[in-house]
Amino acid sequence: MEVFLSTAIEFGVIFLFGCVGEILTEKSGHLNLGIPGIMCMGAAGGCFGAKLYLMPTENPSGVLTVLIAILFAMIFAGALGAVYGFLTVSLRSNQNVTGLACTIFGVGFTSFFLNNVVLTEGVSTQLSYAGLNFFNAQIPGVESLGWFGSIFLAHGVLVYLAIVVAVVVALMLRRTKAGLNLRAIGENPATADAVGIRVTRYKYFAIIVGAAIAGLGGLCYVMDYMGGIVGSTVDQTIQGIGWLSIALVIFTMWRPALAILGSILFGALYIISSRITGISFEQIQLLNMIPFVVTILVLIVTSIIGHRETQPPTSLGLSYFREDR
Amino acid sequence: MERVKEPLIHITRRDSMPLWKSLLIRFGAILVALVISAIFISASAPSSHGFFDYFASLFSGAFGTERRIWILLQNTALLLCVALALVVAFKMRFWNLGGNGQVLIGCLACAVCMYYLGGKLPDALVCIIMFVASVAAGAVWAVIPAVFKAFFNTNESLFTLMMNYIAMYLVAFFIAFWYPNGTGAMPPLTDANLPALGDGQMGRSLLTILVAVLVTALIFCYLRFSKHGYEIAVVGESQNTARYAGINVRKVIIRTLVLSGALCGLVGFLLVGSINHMVSTNMDDNMGFTGIMVAWMGKFNPLIMAGVSLFINFLSRGMAQVCTDFGFTSEALSDIVVGLIYFFFIGCEFFISYKVHFNFSKQKGRAAPAFSMDAASEKGGAPSEAAGHAPAGGEPPAEGQPPADVVRHSFDGALPEGLGMPNGKSSAEAVSPRAAGDVPEEAQLPVGTAPGENAKEEA
Repeated sequence: MEVFLSTAIEFGVIFLFGCVGEILTEKSGHLNLGIPGIMCMGAAGGCFGAKLYLMPTENPSGVLTVLIAILFAMIFAGALGAVYGFLTVSLRSNQNVTGLACTIFGVGFTSFFLNNVVLTEGVSTQLSYAGLNFFNAQIPGVESLGWFGSIFLAHGVLVYLAIVVAVVVALMLRRTKAGLNLRAIGENPATADAVGIRVTRYKYFAIIVGAAIAGLGGLCYVMDYMGGIVGSTVDQTIQGIGWLSIALVIFTMWRPALAILGSILFGALYIISSRITGISFEQIQLLNMIPFVVTILVLIVTSIIGHRETQPPTSLGLSYFREDR
Repeated sequence: MERVKEPLIHITRRDSMPLWKSLLIRFGAILVALVISAIFISASAPSSHGFFDYFASLFSGAFGTERRIWILLQNTALLLCVALALVVAFKMRFWNLGGNGQVLIGCLACAVCMYYLGGKLPDALVCIIMFVASVAAGAVWAVIPAVFKAFFNTNESLFTLMMNYIAMYLVAFFIAFWYPNGTGAMPPLTDANLPALGDGQMGRSLLTILVAVLVTALIFCYLRFSKHGYEIAVVGESQNTARYAGINVRKVIIRTLVLSGALCGLVGFLLVGSINHMVSTNMDDNMGFTGIMVAWMGKFNPLIMAGVSLFINFLSRGMAQVCTDFGFTSEALSDIVVGLIYFFFIGCEFFISYKVHFNFSKQKGRAAPAFSMDAASEKGGAPSEAAGHAPAGGEPPAEGQPPADVVRHSFDGALPEGLGMPNGKSSAEAVSPRAAGDVPEEAQLPVGTAPGENAKEEA
């Protein structure tokens, strides 16, 4: 049970990164269906950054490895986010179509980039070494704290980073002027523009930062959860996680703080099939459906309740054309 | 008067653009994307090749042998069918992102019939049962989200996405159930295959191609000439208008999605019954997503979409050859190139629907922009002149009065506005003049006054 809860948290933060990134993006009125591709880009960028540092270095420092991987993951993911932002904000393209194009590109790029550029001779051993020793490095003395320690404290650094990011974004949206401005843009960009808020600048900020945060989710899956082992289907798995992250945004009613709990719940649902022993291979396939079925139920229930609090930002999905007023 | 800073770039909507010019922009964008990808690939390839070898490989991969041409046509037909299935839903502004799942569940239904009935009943009877089962399964997979959309306004794009994964795991379940000790792969079934219409690859592909031609013609007529097609367009334009006109919106949504899913199921039937004779979890080949791009790039016109899906398949077949020739180990290269083309194509739409003016002259109050990217503004006549110049007349564009006489057309009369045009606002709002004095009252943010769906109708 302890192991199950601990793994649920570890897996849940992957959703949390994606979900918080998407919440930030949606608050600016942009529905980014490119999140699965962007999370993949994060995984590709993180592995690439770690490789660049690890391969020529004799005694790599753990802190530096993690920092460089995080930086590269954010740059790669942010770059695809910037493409999405440029197309939807400046060129006013349809958001759904642009997002899907981002997903197709990002997933393809990751699969290609990991196989042809990153995973050259000897890299996979280095990556799994870094994954086990640097990304999953635990706080010393955790074992002595019993069940509390093994559930909440025995995680790698990315898990805590996810929770910090979620709390910071929650505070930013709720308590700061920038957050208020961003929410105003998501509700009604024309009105926000009229009071002098720089709509375009805020939208770009939200989309690119949101993408960078989501990209950390991909890094977290590869380096933390998988321990640096880059499988051949990693892009497909992250794609599925990405769609669930977008759905999680509705489940958590656009609140990053609630997303912490929601993502841990989804993490538990996602790993359930690999944790139950003594079942056959075909039963595992049925258990794998659980997170997707639960998501559908959540979508149905939230739409039936139809409470005002559970509604998306009013202008979500609509482009803003200033001269069109 | 105080000197006001003029923005450097000023953007206005276009009225219309000559067809040859919009085509030129689109082909230009695709060409640029192709050249960029060619430069990158020939520069980064493990085995060195020239720039033009890339295009040679591309063409030989798609058209090199007779077999390749038939496969290209067959894949085009399949993709076109999926894209047509999605178009009927998109016209209604229903984002059916579940094409993958609907195809896959059609495949599964067909395979189940083949597995349990093949050899026990006459082949012709089994084939009919297979057809009915596949079409029904696809329709069911699409109609579940449609019912919830119609009655509770459930988010259909995420719902259909989740159905994709459920279908995928169902397929995995059945494969594991039938072949418990296997590797997750299924051997081809020999009973109850659809008949080949000839020899070799042509015989395997011809049925699919013929079905696609038939479906294209039917959908074209359905959308263009039938009452149903008109109702779909009205519901897509505005649900309130549709209700006012006496259209039963719920019925239209459900009926359209039955059609959409049934067509996807038909693709599944062809994939398993005629082409592969087995089922696997990635048999949909991501056609649900690619089909969306095909529908979008083809402007929801079935005939243009046929050309687009040929082009996309030409690229992916050709890129497979490029991968082999250039020594790449991953097949995903085609996704990158195709993705790049999507980006350029999506981006170039902006230059078709909007006009960009660069304001290089710093002088305040000058009416004419110093430079216009558009030579057609002379042809466009008075309304577009007014649209282009009015906001530059002394006030910053944010407060400038939009010209009241601009008549806006959708790109194509049949396009639902929110889909065809990037901006969901109706023309009624666009032409209502608003004095600068109104701004302070507007400034109080009416947060959450209008539910998202109705923002357009309220305008």
